Amino acid sequence: MESLSNLIYGFSIALDPVNLMYVFIGVFAGTLIGMLPGLGPISALALMIPITFNLNPATGLILMAGVYYGAIFGGSTSSILLNAPGVAGTVATSFDGYPMAQKGMAGKALAIAAYASFVGGTVSIIGLMLIAPLLSKVAVSFGPAEYFSLMVLGLTAVVSLSDKSLTKGLIAAIVGMMISIIGIDLQTGTERYTFGSIELIEGIDFLVVALGVFALAEVFFMLLRNSNKPQKRNEIGSLKLTGAEVKEIAAPIGRSSILGFFTGVLPGAGATIGSFLGYSMEKRLAKDGDTFGKGNIKGVAAPESANNAACGGSFVPLLTLGVPGSGTTAVLLGALLVMGVTPGPMMLEQRPDVFWGVIASMYIGNIFLLVLNLPLIPYIARILDAPRPLLLSLILIFCMVGVYGLSFSSFDLVLLLVFGLIGLVMRLYGFPAAPLILGLILGALMEESMRRALQISGGDWSTFLDKPISLTLLVIALLSLTLPLIKKGWQKARR
Amino acid sequence: MNVMLKKPLKTLALMGAALTLAGGVASQAVASDWTPSRAVEFIAPANPGGGWDTLVRTTSNVIRTENLADQNFAAINVPGGGGAVAWAQIARDNRNDHKLFATSPPIILVPLAGTSRFNHTHFTPVARLITDYSIVLVPQNSPYQSINDLFAAIGENPRISVGGGSAAGSMDHISIAGAAAAAGLNAASVNYIAFSGGGEAMTNLLGGHVDAVITGAGEAMAQLQGGELRALGVSAPERIPGLDVPTYKEQGLDYTFDIWRGVMAPKDISEDALRYYEDLFARMMETDDWKAATERLGWLDAYQNSEEFGAFLDLQLEQFRSVLGELGLLRN
Repeated sequence: MESLSNLIYGFSIALDPVNLMYVFIGVFAGTLIGMLPGLGPISALALMIPITFNLNPATGLILMAGVYYGAIFGGSTSSILLNAPGVAGTVATSFDGYPMAQKGMAGKALAIAAYASFVGGTVSIIGLMLIAPLLSKVAVSFGPAEYFSLMVLGLTAVVSLSDKSLTKGLIAAIVGMMISIIGIDLQTGTERYTFGSIELIEGIDFLVVALGVFALAEVFFMLLRNSNKPQKRNEIGSLKLTGAEVKEIAAPIGRSSILGFFTGVLPGAGATIGSFLGYSMEKRLAKDGDTFGKGNIKGVAAPESANNAACGGSFVPLLTLGVPGSGTTAVLLGALLVMGVTPGPMMLEQRPDVFWGVIASMYIGNIFLLVLNLPLIPYIARILDAPRPLLLSLILIFCMVGVYGLSFSSFDLVLLLVFGLIGLVMRLYGFPAAPLILGLILGALMEESMRRALQISGGDWSTFLDKPISLTLLVIALLSLTLPLIKKGWQKARR
Repeated sequence: MNVMLKKPLKTLALMGAALTLAGGVASQAVASDWTPSRAVEFIAPANPGGGWDTLVRTTSNVIRTENLADQNFAAINVPGGGGAVAWAQIARDNRNDHKLFATSPPIILVPLAGTSRFNHTHFTPVARLITDYSIVLVPQNSPYQSINDLFAAIGENPRISVGGGSAAGSMDHISIAGAAAAAGLNAASVNYIAFSGGGEAMTNLLGGHVDAVITGAGEAMAQLQGGELRALGVSAPERIPGLDVPTYKEQGLDYTFDIWRGVMAPKDISEDALRYYEDLFARMMETDDWKAATERLGWLDAYQNSEEFGAFLDLQLEQFRSVLGELGLLRN
């Protein structure tokens, strides 16, 4: 009951007209920025910093949080319409969202993404409100050994991301992991595969690879295949979901929201792992699992609810421990410090107005987002209706602006082109692109965690089995790898 | 390369010093003549959110709110290469009087590690502004009560791990390895675990995955208030106001380490422009807005003018070079 009175207190702050206005500005700006590939939540937040200088801390954080979850909310749009994921958390959404759009169901895909985002966001706020202090214990219980095992579990999703040929999927995943090695090695300070180029010292950004192998490769592919065919009209389709469809996605949204929230609490790649694990979990649970990747509505619902829930979860370490779990929350932390609030163990006692005000504002913000996004869908989806030359050049521009905006370096544009060509070759020879991205994102974390764990244990590999959380994760990983194989073998034997 | 470059620089610095002495009062009058004719690009050589970025945004904000300059100081992020990308850009634009950048120990460490062709000698120091100090934290229930306990234990058991938020051979590592060397250990005997940020290092300490963590004292304030962590020592010459933690020196360890931050300009900035900026930052640090900002951010004023800052940087270079050498990480 205490949390209820706290929440009422929070709403008394969040419903203040000025704060209400900033929630609206935040989510509106956030969702617009999120829709553009490349302008992810970090750049959106950086744009807001000067504004927050002159606000009181509660209002400032309400605005910045709104921008953050608004950007995640809108992030699915470019994944679905253009196959151009702007942040790592929305890569999984493109697997089924883009095929849906291709099949003339863009409206429905966007609507499902909006509902799933809304539920995921709301579940995570409830979690944040009720068990945030408790969850901070979970966040710190993950050390290097546990992270390594979590990454191993995350990588098992490769199996479900490569249904045509597991071998090709594994090759793609390993290439992704190799790309993740490029740059300075944290443990020794040595440069690896940089060939003396300063542009490569900090490694290759995920966005360059993702936009290259997904969006740019798609552009090249379309140019190769359909150059002379008359364009068929792209249908947007209805936004309405049938009762059966609602029933179908309800359970995946619920499961993935909870999964996303818990992975989001873990500093690091919460949203990405959450959305990939949610996707592969639902693919395995579904009776029609083989239609995943071809435009299954559950394949949009699961990752979208997971990545929005993870966004809420990422506030747990920030607000309760005072440590940022991601680049985005690091910007938030910096802004809070500038405003004179020190997030951390004492924040609940020192600044309850900020803590509860922000949580209450998130409920309001999520409703704003849903109300704001649904009517916009038909207009935004109309982009698909543009003549093909225009659409293709538009995707090209989006990709280039997004990549250039990372560090204003033309070198990254060359890299984008290279990855676009790599993506095209992969596509022509039937290599799936998703495992490459997964390997790239998880590979770096996996290697770093493994070496840290071994450095702490003095080179003793049993550290991964001695820790109960790590052992449990490895067992789950092993099961999820072997069960489908056993099932397949069994089915073959029966035939 | 550095050794070769250092000598001409010192000569230059001496010449500069002689010139300013000779100029004396007259040059001060002239100094106020030059003012920026357009917006000044103030570069943070990293992404938003870090130390350089906070410094750039805070100073440009104070300059604006206190009306210290007619022109805007525009905060610009140029990330990449741990600063190397921005340094390379600024080094090319060597005569620009309207370009400044935030700087700190990486301007010396990154080139020593061999990943930047440019170091502090390729730029003109404008002013050192603030400093923070390293602090060593352990969990409340840790067996170590002082910094000497920790180093004694490390001497016996090289597996004891000390986490930090930066790569091997960068700031946190140098700070703790230098302290270990001052305590009579080999600098390389510290089992330094590099995390990808101070926050990550802190969660690993809270979860008991590492035995100790080295971080900035400013960052550690909130954690110390929470009561789950204890501080063993701080690398400041004397106790930091508002932080009840003994210095290394109090504990018999003759060692200090500054996490300084300051402002630099392109190499061939005009003398008048340099004097203008030097004076501007000195005036800025007297304002109420600046004092309010430093208090919020846990920064300690540590102003040095261009000349003092340059000499300080040369000293730092020698200190870092010897620690990196002992660690086997010196590549340049």
